[in-house]
Amino acid sequence: MTTPHLSSNSIDVRDAFEAIETYFDRGWSDGLPIVPPTFEAVAAALEAANLAPDAILGVEPTKGAVITAEKAAINAVMAGCRPEYMPVVAAAVEAITADEFNLHAITVSTMGAAILLVVNGPIAKTLEINSGVSAFGPGHRANATIGRAIRLIVMNVLGTRSDDGLDKATLGHPGKFSWCVAENEASLPWEPLHVTRGHDISESTVTVFAGLSGLQFGEHVANTPEGILDAFAQRLYAIGPGSHEVVLVICPEHAEHFAHAGWNKGQVGRYLYEITRKPASEWANAGMPVGARQESGAESGSGGEELVSALRTPESAVPIVIGGAGGAWSSVIPMWGLGAKTKAVTRAIKAVR
Amino acid sequence: MADQNTLRVLDPTVTLSIATERMAERPGSLAGKRIGLLSNDKLNSEALLDAIYDVLADRFDVKASHRINKGDASRPADPDFLSDFSNEVDVALLANGD
Repeated sequence: MTTPHLSSNSIDVRDAFEAIETYFDRGWSDGLPIVPPTFEAVAAALEAANLAPDAILGVEPTKGAVITAEKAAINAVMAGCRPEYMPVVAAAVEAITADEFNLHAITVSTMGAAILLVVNGPIAKTLEINSGVSAFGPGHRANATIGRAIRLIVMNVLGTRSDDGLDKATLGHPGKFSWCVAENEASLPWEPLHVTRGHDISESTVTVFAGLSGLQFGEHVANTPEGILDAFAQRLYAIGPGSHEVVLVICPEHAEHFAHAGWNKGQVGRYLYEITRKPASEWANAGMPVGARQESGAESGSGGEELVSALRTPESAVPIVIGGAGGAWSSVIPMWGLGAKTKAVTRAIKAVR
Repeated sequence: MADQNTLRVLDPTVTLSIATERMAERPGSLAGKRIGLLSNDKLNSEALLDAIYDVLADRFDVKASHRINKGDASRPADPDFLSDFSNEVDVALLANGD
């Protein structure tokens, strides 16, 4: 191991407890205790990803803020990441700083989106990123700390904090602490997310979404794709007309019915696009945000009889299989601003060894 | 180096250039000034700007108003767009709405 030159300012404290309190006092925490980012720990994270400290992982376009590997690694250590998680953190930083993700807007807006990370490929198993039982819940270090690292980077490197910073979310949601999951590739009735998005099945990737809080629902009776998607449709009505992107979290029990029927993702999108079409006047009277109604065409002034779908196009639905084997609980995750001005971004996770 | 009784830890933050920007100098008077009204494209922002302009026009001897809309609330205005705007006004009011 070569000794990297780290340029960040340092602070001397007596012990880990003093470090934790110091980081609270300086506003460098998310409200939970951090792991003290010592030189050695940060160097180990950089080495595990084969990154030079001054390597630029991304530049947030609106503020022009540079996220170096060193700053990302410091925040990853603080989040509790093991060194081998660092390649995932690095790829996620590349993804969130892509122009089409619109990071500044999604993290400062009153709408209060969080950053959902979905990991695909062999690294999910290697790092034990949970995709099964309670996949969005606690108890799994990789999920909890990789997601937390990204939030700490947004807070500490981009200054997007809710106390005295740029984050103006009205409500926010718990995913803003940490929101990282793997797709349950063992339960897929179709190709994995990263393959749909143009990557090879042997690659490992992370895909980022600007997600609002999910709408979980149970559908324990239907055992056909149509019946399950009818239940999804009810939740899409609650989001509003014309989503450009919306994540359909399909639990394994529901996924099995798609497998038995031989459905693919295209059929899912086309079915939902068709069945969620309803007269513009009905959307307009349903309390949807005016901007969403205008954007979708639901307030076109043509009398309101034209049919408007919950989806902008059939491809607007993004099915992802996540969750434990038992229980018929799926979920819909709306995107910030119906996905009109933010797009999911996928980046390859670079294999190190 | 930290001695054996101390732990040396690293600063996770950066100082953003945005934090060092200064406010423009305030005008001493609005008399004869061209008032620029810059909307961020959100609903009601133009209505708010117009209402403020009406108050200013009523109370001060302003010269004219020039209203533009940056066209996308979620992204910064194009620098050329702002440059043209700043050349045409003496004072600018910004507003957003929802």
